[in-house]
Amino acid sequence: MTDGQDGKKDDDMPDFSDVKSGASSTAPGAEVFQTYEVKSGDSLSKIAKNFYGNGNAWKTIFDANTDILKDPNKIYPGQKLKIPPKIPPKL
Amino acid sequence: MKKLIAITIALPLMTMTTLACTKKEPPPPTPAAAAPATTLPAPVSVSAVALGTAIGPDKRVTAATETFGAKDTIYASVETAGTGHAKLRARWSFVKGDKTAKVDETTIEFDSAGPAVNEFHISKPSGWPKGDYRIDVFLGDAESPAATRTFKVN
Repeated sequence: MTDGQDGKKDDDMPDFSDVKSGASSTAPGAEVFQTYEVKSGDSLSKIAKNFYGNGNAWKTIFDANTDILKDPNKIYPGQKLKIPPKIPPKL
Repeated sequence: MKKLIAITIALPLMTMTTLACTKKEPPPPTPAAAAPATTLPAPVSVSAVALGTAIGPDKRVTAATETFGAKDTIYASVETAGTGHAKLRARWSFVKGDKTAKVDETTIEFDSAGPAVNEFHISKPSGWPKGDYRIDVFLGDAESPAATRTFKVN
């Protein structure tokens, strides 16, 4: 997974945009995801590019958030989106 | 004759009254059988948080520390207890004076059947800036953390 920045730039603070993270559990069937708070100017493809390096992966994010998103073109600042882990390409 | 009529009327009335008055009392209700002692299942709670540079296959920290190097992967092992649906959220922050910057926020959701061990980890290929950090562990959508640990990068 990639970064977890919240979009609030502070020149005083270091850049954590290249932070990689992950998680796992001994509990069977555990689901792991990152959280991203939508900021002004965001789109799902922009967020997908940010997290997965591929803007075309926007549907992965949309599918994980159908409880709060009805239209992939309508996201609003302040919404907290689940960002599923990047699925490694099949060999 | 009048006397006979009076007796004929009075006798059944008296009998009915007597029967009504001596109506058998219903037996006192038997006390309800004591319900078997049931304890509600405890909701999921955070029982321990440990930080370190490595974890084992059981997700527990094997090299505990609260001081990390710039190239370390930082692990937090979070033990939970209780049953039910659990949403465990770890927010990593950099702390500078009274300012904080979010480093990462990751969530694990699972159906807990009892004690579980969960691990969260972060790494930064370009190296961690020196300073003070914090991890807050939240349960569900709570605003207040269920557990907090601080650590340093030297």
